Amino acid sequence: MMRTLDKYVAIVPVLVVYLILFLVGQNVPGMWQLMATLLFYCAIGQAFNIFLGMTGYVDFGYVAFIGMGTYGMAVTVNTMAGSWLGGYTIFLGYIMTLVFAGLLSLAVGAVALRLRGAYFAIATIGVNEGLRFFIEGVGLWGGSEGIIFMPELNQVLGKEAASAMATYWADVLVIVIAVLAAVTTIAYMRSKIGYALTALREDEDAARVMGINVTKFKILAFMTSACFAGLVGATAWALKTPYVFPPEVFEIHYTIECIIIVMLGGAGTLLGPVVGGLIYGIGKYVLSVVFPGFQLLIFAPLIIIIIVAFPDGVVGGIRNKVAHTRLGRFIL
Amino acid sequence: MIAEQLLGNLTQGVVLGCVYGVATMGLSLIFGVLKVVNVGHGAFIMVGCFVSLFFFNTLGLNPFLAIPAAFLLGLGIGYLFYHSAIRRLLKAPELSTLLATFYMGVILQEVVKFIYGSEYRGFNWKVGSLSLGFTTLPMAKLYAAICSIAVALILYAWFRKTRAGTAMRAVVEDDEGARVCGVNVNGVYALSFALGIGLTVASGVMLAMFMPVGINPYMGAEYTLKAFVIAVLGGLASPYGAFFGGLIFGIIENGSYTFLAAIPGLEPFSMTRFLAFAMLLIILLIRPTGLLRSK
Repeated sequence: MMRTLDKYVAIVPVLVVYLILFLVGQNVPGMWQLMATLLFYCAIGQAFNIFLGMTGYVDFGYVAFIGMGTYGMAVTVNTMAGSWLGGYTIFLGYIMTLVFAGLLSLAVGAVALRLRGAYFAIATIGVNEGLRFFIEGVGLWGGSEGIIFMPELNQVLGKEAASAMATYWADVLVIVIAVLAAVTTIAYMRSKIGYALTALREDEDAARVMGINVTKFKILAFMTSACFAGLVGATAWALKTPYVFPPEVFEIHYTIECIIIVMLGGAGTLLGPVVGGLIYGIGKYVLSVVFPGFQLLIFAPLIIIIIVAFPDGVVGGIRNKVAHTRLGRFIL
Repeated sequence: MIAEQLLGNLTQGVVLGCVYGVATMGLSLIFGVLKVVNVGHGAFIMVGCFVSLFFFNTLGLNPFLAIPAAFLLGLGIGYLFYHSAIRRLLKAPELSTLLATFYMGVILQEVVKFIYGSEYRGFNWKVGSLSLGFTTLPMAKLYAAICSIAVALILYAWFRKTRAGTAMRAVVEDDEGARVCGVNVNGVYALSFALGIGLTVASGVMLAMFMPVGINPYMGAEYTLKAFVIAVLGGLASPYGAFFGGLIFGIIENGSYTFLAAIPGLEPFSMTRFLAFAMLLIILLIRPTGLLRSK
């Protein structure tokens, strides 16, 4: 019993951070939106880390899965509003989100995961733009007009519940997703899946020769990561602001944000995306307050400096230092 | 009618394709020599567009005089970025160089936005046009295509005839081997990166001839994706491959427009872009060495 607990104790710091963010947002007036943004960054970092951190493959079209998740919820609410499902439409929306993100990741993964290293990054670089232009080009799901489903969402949830969803419950659901993603990460890390992924990250050919079915594990990590991205999109975008607009939900900038968060914290660590999300979120917020309009001009060189100075990220660096101390148990 | 339209679009495609080709040679050069994927590529093209805008609007000069200026500016930016970041990241995982090059692009965007603001600009260089019967070709675009071919030829000669060019080809083949033979590999890395950026910025000057209104600090993203498709068409690591890749891409992009526009219910502009992405995936899968090489 103790041994099992000891294996999973590293999740405690992650949960503590989420709890602190939630409590600060809840109790300090005016802080809820900022805390919600930070939690969004943590959640999306945690989701992306399952693939990027554990396999070392850089998916440059990751935002496509967030976008597909958003569409999953939007399309469901839009078509099912007024049906006998009532409030349960949201559940169906989540199922469709998983289906959309899962199918897309299966299709992209089946093609792109045959490629390695830089070639994988190049293959995925256009997934989001390609999908956006496909939706606009054939006029799928409202085409370039997007879907505005505010009235439908009001009909499904009731007007008051829908506005409570936008201002409060969507953010709480993001926390739930972030926790689920963290639990999934540690479950993967502490099981055969994690060992297989670590082996393939270090040396894919060697892992294959050892008899590890690398393709299976890569696809598994890719799909898990994509499904969490979809859930975040469905919650933080679709339910919070009930419209989807193709250029917005497929904006490459979000892929970059995910990569930075994972990189800043330390790719392949459990606590990394949380720390990275906090640093990125707070940094961006502070700079936009202090230097409104010029935040990117200052942020961009800063990020390059950090990449050069801390190649393993913050948590990666700390973990290397405390690996065999009592503190080391909590940092994974 | 359709045949005439197709012929016209194909001609425009060839002209634009030459410029696309030059605009991608820098990307392939950098990937070939350093194995660094420059995801900020489009932003460097954007800088070139602004250089030609500066020459034409502010200085009142012939915009083609901007080509050498843009090239030198690009060389400088390239050396600066190489020595400040890329050099230290060559041994790091791809993640680091991808992020670093993306943010280099962001820095350029923000600097240009700081100077020029974010509204759309452009210029119309009125030097007449060439009538071919089925289509009319503005001379400015034709000149841009001719300049592109000239730049590609100069680069080809430079690779074949000079010591530095030979050293660069040696590093592409085998960097350890080149080092053993006494090639200053670090110097080649720096030169290749700077040259790649220089070419890219210079190509922006040519590309500016094709957009009377589209010049904006954020215009680069679109060209980044196109450049990757073109580079993949040409085999990724070969600058000449990239030039022919650009020609093929220009022809397919403009040619397919005619057919896609004929299908009801489709928005042809978006579909040509979707097609570009589909091509990227398909070619990487079935022919990762590019269309031209038989390997």
